[in-house]
Amino acid sequence: MIDNFIAGSAALFGDPFTIGIFVFGLIGGMLFGAIPGVSMLTLAAILLPFTASLEPAQGVMLFAVIYCTGTYGGAITAILFNIPGAPENAPTAFDGYPMTLKGQSGKAVGAAVLCSAIGGVSSALIMMAATEPLANWAISNIGPPEIFALVFFGLAVASSVGGRTMWKGWMSVLLGLLVATIGQDPVGGINRYNFGFSDLAAGIAFVPAIMGFFAVSEIFVQAEKKAVGMYKAPRMSLDFPTMSELWIHKIAVVRSMLVGFFCGILPGIGATLAAFMGYGEAVRWSKNKESFGKGNLEGVISSETANNAATGAAMIPLLALGLPGGAMTALMVGVFQMHDLEPGPMVFYNSPDLIWIVFAAMFYANLSILFIGLIETKTIMYLLKIPFQFLAPMILLLASIGSYIGRGLVLDVIIMFGAGIIGFLLRRSGYSIPGIVLGIILGKIGEQNFAQGMQMVHYDVLEYLSRPICLLLIIAGLLTFITGIYKALSYSFKS
Amino acid sequence: MSRLKTIHIVETLIWLTIIAVFFVYSFEFNQEIEIYIFGATGWPRVILGLLFLVTLGNMLHLHKKGSEVQKGRVGIIDQGEEISYNSLYSIWKLIAILSLPLIFALSLKPVGFYSATPIFIALTILLLGEKRIKWVLGITLFIYTLLIILFMVILNAPLPQGNISPFYDFSAFMLTLNTNLHQSLNF
Repeated sequence: MIDNFIAGSAALFGDPFTIGIFVFGLIGGMLFGAIPGVSMLTLAAILLPFTASLEPAQGVMLFAVIYCTGTYGGAITAILFNIPGAPENAPTAFDGYPMTLKGQSGKAVGAAVLCSAIGGVSSALIMMAATEPLANWAISNIGPPEIFALVFFGLAVASSVGGRTMWKGWMSVLLGLLVATIGQDPVGGINRYNFGFSDLAAGIAFVPAIMGFFAVSEIFVQAEKKAVGMYKAPRMSLDFPTMSELWIHKIAVVRSMLVGFFCGILPGIGATLAAFMGYGEAVRWSKNKESFGKGNLEGVISSETANNAATGAAMIPLLALGLPGGAMTALMVGVFQMHDLEPGPMVFYNSPDLIWIVFAAMFYANLSILFIGLIETKTIMYLLKIPFQFLAPMILLLASIGSYIGRGLVLDVIIMFGAGIIGFLLRRSGYSIPGIVLGIILGKIGEQNFAQGMQMVHYDVLEYLSRPICLLLIIAGLLTFITGIYKALSYSFKS
Repeated sequence: MSRLKTIHIVETLIWLTIIAVFFVYSFEFNQEIEIYIFGATGWPRVILGLLFLVTLGNMLHLHKKGSEVQKGRVGIIDQGEEISYNSLYSIWKLIAILSLPLIFALSLKPVGFYSATPIFIALTILLLGEKRIKWVLGITLFIYTLLIILFMVILNAPLPQGNISPFYDFSAFMLTLNTNLHQSLNF
């Protein structure tokens, strides 16, 4: 492994053009992640056609670096503006934004920088050491029933955070799942809920929905406050956390690393579920549950460690099985295909150079977050000083461009602003926007894997549940669900 | 005593309407799939059924506790801050703020990004309370230039060009400028 890593590093740093691409990915990912309104996906979508003129290793490496640094960059906007740069940063906003409102943005961002780097580096190391054995384990133990069970558990966890009541948490998740049914069904390809719009046959695209629910709704919430004279500008702080403050949360870091890595290696699940589960587990094991959502540093730490730990792990199903773990890894499949390559087990034998350049680049990219991230953060923090009336149109336009570029459809921009208005109204009534977004993201994956799983076991539920990992996750999901209902009902009937 | 308010009843009715519309519309694609016994409607109808049950649960909560936040909930960013509208003007202003981006999005196809954007920026800044005209114009020009440099000149991103004159002509003019710039810089 070490020899391969050295060879990958030499190939990466031995060619000035490859170094240039690495640095471009590093800075581009961080900037697009950290500028409210656009995300790493926007940059990746714009760059995809240009990768045709690069070597395959350079193209995949560029996207892998953007993935690592963009996942971290999205935490900055989540913390400073309550606008997660990507869905995987949504739980970061739960505690990060309240910290900004309290004038502790420096502490939250500092923790995000460090924990993203820890999560990402450890994930890259495990990925280098164990891609092949982990892929083999995943092939033999993880099938559609397990993936469906994990989606179910993840949605149960997501429903327990965010909404003002458990009911609203579930309604948000179910609304997301319902939106995800728009478009062709994943088994028979039958058009569902397109209401006469042919563009809806492909379903609601993730990026416009995410931009609308997160970025646009937040602009509307702040604009409303501005309209009624209740707007308070967030306070800037460059007061970073001390090592002792972070050391207290070491168990949360290790737990989130494991959760993130586990979610990352499962095809289709990716960093979003990792972040939600990392956050959910932090709440579950905390003695001070009430402080979450009000500016608890552990919330930021758990979410950011988990989502960056998933970035390296998400490369395992992509490279070893050819299955993307999320939107960004799906775009990486596009890079492979532009060079007439198919990601999968054969890549390890046919293109080992490519694999090790990518692994080395991801390792260095995560390490760079620590150094460049801190410098970049201090600059980005000054965005808080820009008056809201000047920042808002900029964010709305960046979000419009980000939504349009993916498919080149004006309908996506309309959907984004529509989602923004709906998100604004739902937020005013206490629904959970991250719950809706997670429902949209996991809906299709859940349905597809449920259908495949049922076909595999010939519709025999007992056989479905005889798979230990599946059973464990279903029980965990049901327990979360039943406990939630019990708490909600007993609260309603309590005088 | 019930703590149900009119707004809660409206909220519940909206949810029930969504469920009803989606359920009725599901008959439009109620086709069998040979290899899958639950068909195309199985999954959405289960979601609708669950949504119906939790809507009832939500109504029960609203009836007993009103808009009160359930104790022990975490991750709530919008803590139910009371927003009071002291004038009709602020309500109109909010409606304008909410609808302006939608109008901008709808105008992208006929008018195009290059022509619609400066108007959108200036109107948004004005609606958000900036009264100094020099600032409105200056910031509009600054944001527009920044977006053009980043997305048109550097990233060459395809943006909507519009389809009616003179907006389409203006987009064509911008793109020609960009091509000439790229050629002169050998970009």
